[in-house]
Amino acid sequence: MHKIEADVQLSLLEENRKYAGENREFLREHGVVAFNLMGATGSGKTMLIEKTADLVSDKLKIGAILGDVAGDDDFKRVTKHGVKAKMVNTGKECHLDAHFIHHAVEEFADVDVLFMENVGNLVCPVDFDLGEDYRVVVVSVTEGDDVIRKHPEIFRLADAILINKISLADAVGCDVDIMLRDARRLNAKAPVIKMDLKNDIGVENWLEWFFDAVERAKKYKSV
Amino acid sequence: MSFAQSLLENVLRVAEEKGAKKVKRVVVEIGTLLMLNPEQLTFCYEVVSKGTIAENSELNIVEIKPKIRCSVCGKEFDAPFAICDCGGVVTVEGGKDAVIRKIEMEV
Repeated sequence: MHKIEADVQLSLLEENRKYAGENREFLREHGVVAFNLMGATGSGKTMLIEKTADLVSDKLKIGAILGDVAGDDDFKRVTKHGVKAKMVNTGKECHLDAHFIHHAVEEFADVDVLFMENVGNLVCPVDFDLGEDYRVVVVSVTEGDDVIRKHPEIFRLADAILINKISLADAVGCDVDIMLRDARRLNAKAPVIKMDLKNDIGVENWLEWFFDAVERAKKYKSV
Repeated sequence: MSFAQSLLENVLRVAEEKGAKKVKRVVVEIGTLLMLNPEQLTFCYEVVSKGTIAENSELNIVEIKPKIRCSVCGKEFDAPFAICDCGGVVTVEGGKDAVIRKIEMEV
């Protein structure tokens, strides 16, 4: 036996990039605008899909791929709001990746907007491009006002940051201005929208950005 | 764990291509903005490589820092920051990839 050395350049993210590219191309061909929805468990990601579907269903057909460790709770919730949905259970994996949802994406050629609801956490989903047009991060005041600076990458790379449950801020001792300041320090371009989804606060600001984002993305898609 | 799994799969693929009987050492560059903990990656790699020809191989992790710089005044930062004191937009380059650079094997 003798020793050999192989000098290589193999990116561990290359496989994901390849599938993300294929997902993106499929969505472009079919004129589907995709949003990668990220945030902690309970932050309000599923409710954002429900509320958006209720308010835009006369104009846009909404689809959703729902990533969760187990169960079909989110599937049951969003389908009641007319959303075409597909549940994907990730088991031990703490994020969606482009390969994992590759076949699921192909079932959504007939929608205008596809939400890819990621597994609930602010850490793992950030490094895995799914082929989306936009990254939306939902964070709630109940996660503490230091949550944004504790998770800088996901907020730095977001296209929109939604701070949810603002009506509960005083009750949980959260200073929303600190969250706004931290978001701005990390990300100068993303809108930071204060919301209370359950009570329809801030929804109009979200919809304004959402419709604009859909329009912008549609311009470079074929349909 | 998914990075460790992908690392092992790539290492084993190269080892197979080269007809290796044993993997001795792997050098991997990890961008610091991936925020992977080197100790955890090493531990996970040990776990997933058990029972393969890469079992007990040494894992050398080289941390790669991003270039974080103000696009107007050129001031450099240690951590990502959106806007510089001068009002310029701060750009972040690199630090987001994980790349295997070297694999030592016995054939």
